[in-house]
Amino acid sequence: MVILRAGLCPGLTAEMIQLLKANSIATVVDLVSSDLEEVARKCCLSYKALVAVRRVLLAQFSAFPVNGADLYEELKSSTAILSTGSKSLDKLLDSGLYTGEVTELTGAPGSGKTQVCLSIAVSTSHDLKQNVLYVDSTGGFMASRLLQLAQTRTGDEEEQVEALQRIQVARVFDVYKMLDVLQELRCSVSQQVLSSSGPVKVLVVDSVSAVICPLLGGRQAEGLALMMQLARELKTLARELSMAVVVTNHVTRDGSSGHLKPALGRSWSFVPSTRVLLESRESTWGQASTRRIASLTKSPRQPTGIEVELDIGSCGVLEESPAASGEGR
Amino acid sequence: MQRDVGSFPLAPGLRAKLIGAGFQTAQELLEIGPCELSKEIGISKEEALETLQIVRRECHSNATKTADDPEAVGKCTALELLAQEQAQGFIITFCSALDDILGGGVQLTKITEICGAPGVGKTQLCMQLAVDVQIPECFGGLAGEAVFIDTEGSFMVDRVVDIATACVQHCQLIAETHQEEDFQKSLETFSLESILSHIYYFRCHDYTELLAQVYLLPDFLSEHSKVRLVIVDGIAFPFRHDFEDLSLRTRLLNGLAQQLISIANAHKLAVVLTNQMTTRIGQSQSMLVPALGESWGHAATIRLIFHWDNKQRLATLYKSPSQKESTIPFHITPHGFRDVHPPPPSQTPAEVEINPRKRPRIEGDKQ
Repeated sequence: MVILRAGLCPGLTAEMIQLLKANSIATVVDLVSSDLEEVARKCCLSYKALVAVRRVLLAQFSAFPVNGADLYEELKSSTAILSTGSKSLDKLLDSGLYTGEVTELTGAPGSGKTQVCLSIAVSTSHDLKQNVLYVDSTGGFMASRLLQLAQTRTGDEEEQVEALQRIQVARVFDVYKMLDVLQELRCSVSQQVLSSSGPVKVLVVDSVSAVICPLLGGRQAEGLALMMQLARELKTLARELSMAVVVTNHVTRDGSSGHLKPALGRSWSFVPSTRVLLESRESTWGQASTRRIASLTKSPRQPTGIEVELDIGSCGVLEESPAASGEGR
Repeated sequence: MQRDVGSFPLAPGLRAKLIGAGFQTAQELLEIGPCELSKEIGISKEEALETLQIVRRECHSNATKTADDPEAVGKCTALELLAQEQAQGFIITFCSALDDILGGGVQLTKITEICGAPGVGKTQLCMQLAVDVQIPECFGGLAGEAVFIDTEGSFMVDRVVDIATACVQHCQLIAETHQEEDFQKSLETFSLESILSHIYYFRCHDYTELLAQVYLLPDFLSEHSKVRLVIVDGIAFPFRHDFEDLSLRTRLLNGLAQQLISIANAHKLAVVLTNQMTTRIGQSQSMLVPALGESWGHAATIRLIFHWDNKQRLATLYKSPSQKESTIPFHITPHGFRDVHPPPPSQTPAEVEINPRKRPRIEGDKQ
């Protein structure tokens, strides 16, 4: 719904706009969808001029259909699959994080979402040598833990330092600031402000529900609108800038069945294309025998219900090995 | 600047009017003046001017932000954060086992939540921390001040006097063995009166007062910049009774958590909250879980659960970004929060628990 302004296209002058507005045609959609002969008669404008203006506006504002084969070729050349650094998690995600898509990690408090995010950040920055932007809204980011993870991957201090330098951290605690950060990222990429080793390839948002939950519920619809704004920004960043976006979400208890389900409701459930649920099974908070299970609850490529076991130790998210299974954590 | 109008912090009614008039992106708003805007969407000229100022400010700050501009959103690399974290201190708890499992003590810029059944020692730890944050830097402390927000009325000044006296004596012992000048100098300022005068106490009787207090805290903190610890003793109490609308409660709690973490981050202080326990009835058994629901569990960065094991008090680290889960025993002595020392065969330290208000767990037990 773009408003008609003078100079929007050649031939659209201020007097024309005044006359059109007087007949309640204020936006591009109104002009393009109205019957031009009638408009020419009512506003005393030349029919030819109106047709020319309409043609230019259509060319400028309409979307172009793309051939399926062309789309496939484009996706093949622009999508990258980024390994998460953990073989079992990669198996769950069909060999890794896909750029152009939003992946969601959800789980109860203490189930390991922040640990998986930190692990992904370090493995992208160190193994794949790509830039990462980590947006932290819960305060759970610990640079010393990142250093620990980097130290288990390489003993060389310079490489550790480089790996940490490629991870940018933004600490935002409300939704407007988060939108600011995402907008700034988009501007910096579109203006081609490159940092030392290239554009950001992975965007981690931990967590998205911490900033949206205070706005949802009650009788206000504002919260949903802002949530969808955020969703649109994330998806646009993923698709247009070829990034892999990872978000974390909380869980709430379902009122009727008593099971845990991801927070933010049904509207948010359509935003990520892949959803992974992290759980710790057979554990009480007095004992030390926790098994951390990651299960796939939504995926465009794999069957849902696949489960893998993760081991969150001092080395990050490793796969379960027979030697390690004896240690209780 | 192709930023959507919906992403600016404007009032909802105003936003609805702007979108209804056909404004989609910030670019369109930047092109017109306040008089035209007020005429087009039917608001007063002052409102139009304000709206345009908000939009311009956000857009210009985006355009002129460089990588070195820290105050805008606070972006920095992980390396810089690492340097900051390593330079930060911890608030020690005088119980070395607890300090170990926390990774050095209570961390700054994070929210630590202590949950436990009644009488297990949550308020004792809070009072201990309020004293420990004031320990001078040469003894390994932070030389900060503390804010204590009390909702249950469990703050006992005489107990704080006991804890503070023990702490000052401990520091004096250290100073005597080391015999250095700055130790003596800092001891002059570290006395019972100064400790008590640097604990700022607020009493909140219901959730509205608590919310108001937390939202007014940034102003208070900008005047008292040495505050390094904010304690909210009893965050569950005002929210657990007298609330019909549970979704409102979730919303308020989440907003409160975000406000607290942003204060902790902006002023580099630690926030400690205490929570109650509630029973969850499962399929075969019932367990004690922290109160306030599932969504509150995500609010705290570090969660400690205090519980009993027969007669021994235990602390379990249940959630932490950098330490693994573990359990340690602790004791509460007349001097405050302390470690458990295995009793040597020759002397038996008398561990008397002072619990003036709550029923003593063990009836007159002396080891």
